Amino acid sequence: MTLPDAEVAPEVVIEGVSKTFAGPVGPIEAVAPVSLRFAAGQTTALVGPSGCGKSTLLRLVAGLEPPSTGTISIGGQTPDAVRARAGLSMAFQDPSLLPWRSLRGNIALALKLARKRADPAAVDRLIALVGLAGFEGARPAELSGGMRQRAAIARCLVTEPRLLLLDEPFGAVDEMTRARLNRELPALWQARGATALLVTHSVREAVLLSDRVLVFSARPAEVVADIAVAFSHPRAPDLVRTNRFLDLCDQVSEALSRGETARRLVAE
Amino acid sequence: MSTVADLPGARPTALARVPRWLPGVVRFLRLWEGAAWWLAGRFLLAGPLDVIAHAWANAGLLTRAAAVTLENAAWGFVIGNLAAVALALMALALPRGAGVVAGLALVVFCLPLVATAPILRVLYGPGSGPQITIAALAVYYTTFIPLMVGLRAAPASWFDLIRLYGRGGPSALVQVRAMAALPYLVAGLQIAAPAAILGAMIGEFTGADRGLGVLVIRAMRGLDVTATWTLATISAAVAMAGYGALGALGRWLAPDRPEALLTPPPASATRLAERAAIGALTVLVVLLLWWAAMELADLNRFFAKRPDDVWRFLVTAPQAAAARATLAAAMVETLLWTIPGYVAGLVLGAALAAVLTLYPAAAGSVMPIAVALRSVPIVTTAPLIVLMLGRGATGTIAIVAVMTFFPALVACLQGLRQAPGQVLDVFAAYAARPVQRLLHAQLPAMLPAFFAAARMSVPAAVLAVTVAEWLATGRGMGHLMALSASTSNYNMLWSATATLAAVSALGYAGVALLERRALRRYAPEQLS
Repeated sequence: MTLPDAEVAPEVVIEGVSKTFAGPVGPIEAVAPVSLRFAAGQTTALVGPSGCGKSTLLRLVAGLEPPSTGTISIGGQTPDAVRARAGLSMAFQDPSLLPWRSLRGNIALALKLARKRADPAAVDRLIALVGLAGFEGARPAELSGGMRQRAAIARCLVTEPRLLLLDEPFGAVDEMTRARLNRELPALWQARGATALLVTHSVREAVLLSDRVLVFSARPAEVVADIAVAFSHPRAPDLVRTNRFLDLCDQVSEALSRGETARRLVAE
Repeated sequence: MSTVADLPGARPTALARVPRWLPGVVRFLRLWEGAAWWLAGRFLLAGPLDVIAHAWANAGLLTRAAAVTLENAAWGFVIGNLAAVALALMALALPRGAGVVAGLALVVFCLPLVATAPILRVLYGPGSGPQITIAALAVYYTTFIPLMVGLRAAPASWFDLIRLYGRGGPSALVQVRAMAALPYLVAGLQIAAPAAILGAMIGEFTGADRGLGVLVIRAMRGLDVTATWTLATISAAVAMAGYGALGALGRWLAPDRPEALLTPPPASATRLAERAAIGALTVLVVLLLWWAAMELADLNRFFAKRPDDVWRFLVTAPQAAAARATLAAAMVETLLWTIPGYVAGLVLGAALAAVLTLYPAAAGSVMPIAVALRSVPIVTTAPLIVLMLGRGATGTIAIVAVMTFFPALVACLQGLRQAPGQVLDVFAAYAARPVQRLLHAQLPAMLPAFFAAARMSVPAAVLAVTVAEWLATGRGMGHLMALSASTSNYNMLWSATATLAAVSALGYAGVALLERRALRRYAPEQLS
């Protein structure tokens, strides 16, 4: 089998994947059997209630958890094989910065682990882009929660991966910075045509950043809506005030409520 | 946690540069001198002025002895800590065998140094071998335990980060585990520094030619009160200096040090049957290693007894019943004095910590003295307490209590500070009284630290009581072991050593069981 070109964004195919964890009072089904296809170069937002298994799905795609059933293919390869050649990157809910490394050191660590040459100027440009210029030498303990999360996003982007897995990357960022990052960061991976899976709790962010929104029900998650977002990139700041944008946000919100109601009825 | 915005920028004033511990030390010296003057004639107590005069008059002898002891302690410190690092890495590399490695480490730590020292003296002959080995044995466990915790202390997401880029165990060890474990290693090394001096001095008790331990024995036998107090002061000062120096090095290397010994070692098994199997396997490995070490070194069976020799002596030999009776009688005597002292030390330590929490101003001046006194090796206090309180139950129980009191006090004071700030804010919001805050928020937060101190104090209490019995009281296991060593009754010496190590390890395991039960309710996150 030939290796896929590292410069080409991969298609992600999930076939009958489920995940069950052993819990204190019996097995917990985090992800019910699901089959999904994420097109190469597209950004897909995953939205759903807390604990529905979105983050677990991302960890399964990253190969950090083995699926209980089913298979995952990234550009025709297993997640383990893709990780082995540093072909993907992930921003965790928790920034997971190493406390003994400076901000610059934490970002450069990703390059070191990915066996890529560190270009100090490129690292500093990325630090400036996430609004942390002047804090290059600061330790994580000296940064606020939002600053740490921005550092983690920079670390995720620095290796220029072709598959990005973003687990609520803007969760702890303040509203003003979040709006700026929403405008500037997606351009970085979309310009390179990377495939991205974004977990978010913000309906507005999901519609603004993605080409497709998947709405999940409560655990064990099922896809209750698959909504295409047909705006071109890059997206203008005033897009969020258009009726089409607001209509899509409505559709996503309604699907979320539908998923909640359906689950509640099943439970009752 | 400080952010860039609130980093300290104020310059300290001249008054603030006075070390925090200095006023406490001055008060302590004045109290000591006052007590010596007031109690003159009633208790065998020498004051600081007598001690200084004696030290000045014998400066050459004392300096040479201290240098010898320090050299032995330093070698033991290096060897013991290297062994701790090797053992911890072995446990990390073999996760399924980690329980056996930890069990083996515990059994060796529980060997009564008082008995190990004469055995090593026979095995090594003259020279500094026994002193260095005992010093190494005294330090490795207090480094091994925090290191085991530290190597696993990193959050799972840091390892995810390594795996995300296709890297495995070696990268995780270099990039995450080693750095995450460094503060724990430093905390372990700090506690190891005075322990190394303690080990070297116990080694010197058993027929060494030079060193502070030799002078202590001479002073005790000659009933030289001033010399005993001088030697105790010098060894305590050397131990405290070692503790302080390692602390300073630690603050430079790893400024955010955790309270390393507050955390229980990770359990490798959760089910009772699995734990019992690991225990049985550990016993088997210990017996195998004991036998193999003796055979491989081809040591003479006259003094280097094997497990089967002990079995014959205690079970199948014609005089086995008499030997068992002697051993049991000595063990009962020892336990009768150990348990009250152990419990009293722990309870008093925890109680004083709780009281000091209600009066924070007093805690500020007591804490540095308590930390300093925790670092004083027991051999330096045992002769003093025996001199002051006599050779009966009071003196021995007091020695055990002192041995457990200071670690319990320091651990509990640290533990009481672990109560989360937000929880304390809730109590403040309801204007709760300090006692309510103590009972409902701070005491539950203290429990992990209390149990960690209680667990680590079991072998320490056994060491304290055997040292007292050996040096002074003439009864119990310490005396039996000293007598067996001096009469070359190696069957009894090895049997006493094995029995006491087993009892000590069982006591440790029993406290660890209680600890896990308490943590399951009050600090379940520490059991993950």
